[in-house]
Amino acid sequence: MSVIEYDVIVIGAGAAGLTAAAWLAQQGVSVALVTAGEPTACLSTGCIDVCSRDDQPLSGIAGLPDEHPFHLVPEAMLRQSIEDFRQMMADMDMPYEGTLEKNRRILSAIGAFKTTCLVPATMQASPQSDNERIHLITFTGLKDFYPGYLLSRFSNASFSAYDAGVSTTMGIAAHFEDSAFRETFLLWLERQNIREDKIAFPAVLGLESASFLLKQIESRLERPVFEIPTLPPSMPGRRLFNGMKDHLRRRGGVIYWNWPVVGVEKSDRQIEAVSTGAQGRPNSLNARAFILATGSFVGGGLWAKRDRIVEKVFDLPVFAPENRDDWFDQDYFSVSHGIGQAGIVVDDAFCPQGSPWNNVFVCGSILAHSEALKNGCGHGFAIATGRAAARSCLERLR
Amino acid sequence: MTFEHCIRCTICVESCPVFRVQPEFPGPKQAGPDAQRFRSDREKSIDDWVLLCSQCKRCEMACPCGVEPAQIILRVQQRYGLEHPHTPAHLLFANNYYLSALGSMTAPLANRIAAAKIGKKILGQMGIATYIPFPKFSFKTLRGEKKIRSRGNRKIAFFYGCFINFYRPDIGRKIMRMLQSFDINVVLPPQVCCGLPALGNGNLALARTFARKNVASLSNYIDAGYDIVYTCTSCGLCLLQDYMGILEIPEAKKIAENSYDLHEYLLKLIAEREISPVFREVNRSLAYHIPCHLRALKIGYPAAELMKRIPGLDVAILDDACCGLSGSYGFKTTNEATACELGARAVSLIRKTGAKAIVADCGSCRMQLSGLSGMNAFDPSEILCESLGIRNKK
Repeated sequence: MSVIEYDVIVIGAGAAGLTAAAWLAQQGVSVALVTAGEPTACLSTGCIDVCSRDDQPLSGIAGLPDEHPFHLVPEAMLRQSIEDFRQMMADMDMPYEGTLEKNRRILSAIGAFKTTCLVPATMQASPQSDNERIHLITFTGLKDFYPGYLLSRFSNASFSAYDAGVSTTMGIAAHFEDSAFRETFLLWLERQNIREDKIAFPAVLGLESASFLLKQIESRLERPVFEIPTLPPSMPGRRLFNGMKDHLRRRGGVIYWNWPVVGVEKSDRQIEAVSTGAQGRPNSLNARAFILATGSFVGGGLWAKRDRIVEKVFDLPVFAPENRDDWFDQDYFSVSHGIGQAGIVVDDAFCPQGSPWNNVFVCGSILAHSEALKNGCGHGFAIATGRAAARSCLERLR
Repeated sequence: MTFEHCIRCTICVESCPVFRVQPEFPGPKQAGPDAQRFRSDREKSIDDWVLLCSQCKRCEMACPCGVEPAQIILRVQQRYGLEHPHTPAHLLFANNYYLSALGSMTAPLANRIAAAKIGKKILGQMGIATYIPFPKFSFKTLRGEKKIRSRGNRKIAFFYGCFINFYRPDIGRKIMRMLQSFDINVVLPPQVCCGLPALGNGNLALARTFARKNVASLSNYIDAGYDIVYTCTSCGLCLLQDYMGILEIPEAKKIAENSYDLHEYLLKLIAEREISPVFREVNRSLAYHIPCHLRALKIGYPAAELMKRIPGLDVAILDDACCGLSGSYGFKTTNEATACELGARAVSLIRKTGAKAIVADCGSCRMQLSGLSGMNAFDPSEILCESLGIRNKK
């Protein structure tokens, strides 16, 4: 039994867990967030997909099947959580643009459009149709961005290549944080005589100062500039994670890294503590309530065995298509593989159904029937359910 | 978990400080699990870029699948060290403990030589970087300090580490006074270097020799009812992780089970209501640079929790940047550029907070950050002592 006790322990550092933890911390609750590693949010485009299956996120949500957990979040709470998110990222100097009333599009690295709701300010100017004329800046030898894909699909585009001396997204982004490098680059850029209306970059415009950099380039070149998300390592995903994490810390939340939960102490009705396998003494942390936000398969919250799917922390009951043959479609690239429905079924209070614990709350992509790919319910869904689960956790505590 | 559990997601690559600035290093994914698939016991190791990994362990903390890229690379570094001649810099830093002992004994002279132009020139020729001043040897080390007997039952064997012993024994003495003020008995058990510098310079055998000596000594104290308390987070990580892991020391588990970070230990005593320190106001605005190895210890940031209790203290926590020095890593001319660039980034993040001084648990982080920024850098214990009104006797 540990002596360190928090009101709430949040497990998982993705958008859902960070939102839940930061909101609770803001309410004056003592919160610790534990995480096995860094979240898949780091690999994402940094865009906030609320519900991309429709032009309008809200009507998209309304059209989701009855069992979809998005229906558990009242509209007012969704609005508030998205508004708070925007405010938070603006405070962290990484502003987001967009509105819940209408989805928008961003240009992807293969020249196709991706539908999303909120975008980092660095993608604000991304074209909404393929009539727009863009000039693409690429970097010699950059391994994780292939301008050929984009140029072959986007006929109104031209490009020029800059030799940054390094060939990785990370390396170029690091260079962009350096003002001397920026100045040399800007001089080169001015000499390119760009005639197109907009300038596109792979997302390498720095890590900490992306929005500042973007403005600097825009004012020098006198036209809109935007980033195109790249393959991982993804700078916009990393910025999102860093922003949310630092915000949690500013609110007084504590983060334990490298902390996969391997042990659980429980009584009849309650989870008492979680522990991790340290090198020597097992490290354990007590709490009055727990929020599970460990993600689905890629995030590591769910684990598929040959015949069934398990939830890895509390071994909660997992919903999955009953017949093993229904887990996968014949079409490999299908967005509606049956296994996408797998996850934890929760009640109105985000407590897992069919489990004896009354102090566990679940949010994010580990929720059953969320089907992120099919419905385009990404970080927006995570943020909204994170907030809702945190709210009902707080009510339980009081 | 083995290299085969890697799903190649590249989160580790995003987290790697060296990869950001050193194009010769292929990053933890390629240098670790990817290359591991092609390494064979029967072939000589040829990839000298494995030495560019600074062993900050950030990749291990980032990996969602429990793969340990730094651990894989560390083992390859040891093999490389076995199979290739060591540079003078590697030899010297592996034996840092003996050199420091010599330096302390001849402190007035050694400090003067290290700071003089001719000294710098000699160091440079040996492949040792001098972009930040070498820490000053202290003639009077901590080792000679008397043990502290208190009224309480709590007994601590203090693993103070080389940095405090040879360079900043004043911090060690303050820590001892602080523990005394909580009625804790403190002894300084016989100890040598933890072994990490030897490991970091590819000298597995020497690291093992150090580790065996320490384990033999500390083990006796544990049997006699002492808890081991360390204050250097890298020494701590070595005691907890490497003794059991790569160094394969019998009894290492016992050491790991009974060793605590100083601030972790204080928090534990506070939670158990055994001590109840009264923190007085400290009007400072500090940037708390989290050492990579503190993160890797899995204990959260206990010093931050303690500093939160100090009225008037404003602490901004920064854990995204590695200072770049990584013990002796940045002191090699081959790594100087990497260390400087990483250090510059860490300093720019610190400046952004508007803080007036730096605080960090690790002596080498402090050396790097104050060397590059010109700001003062404190050990968290110094801040705690300031708040508790504990001073060293003149």
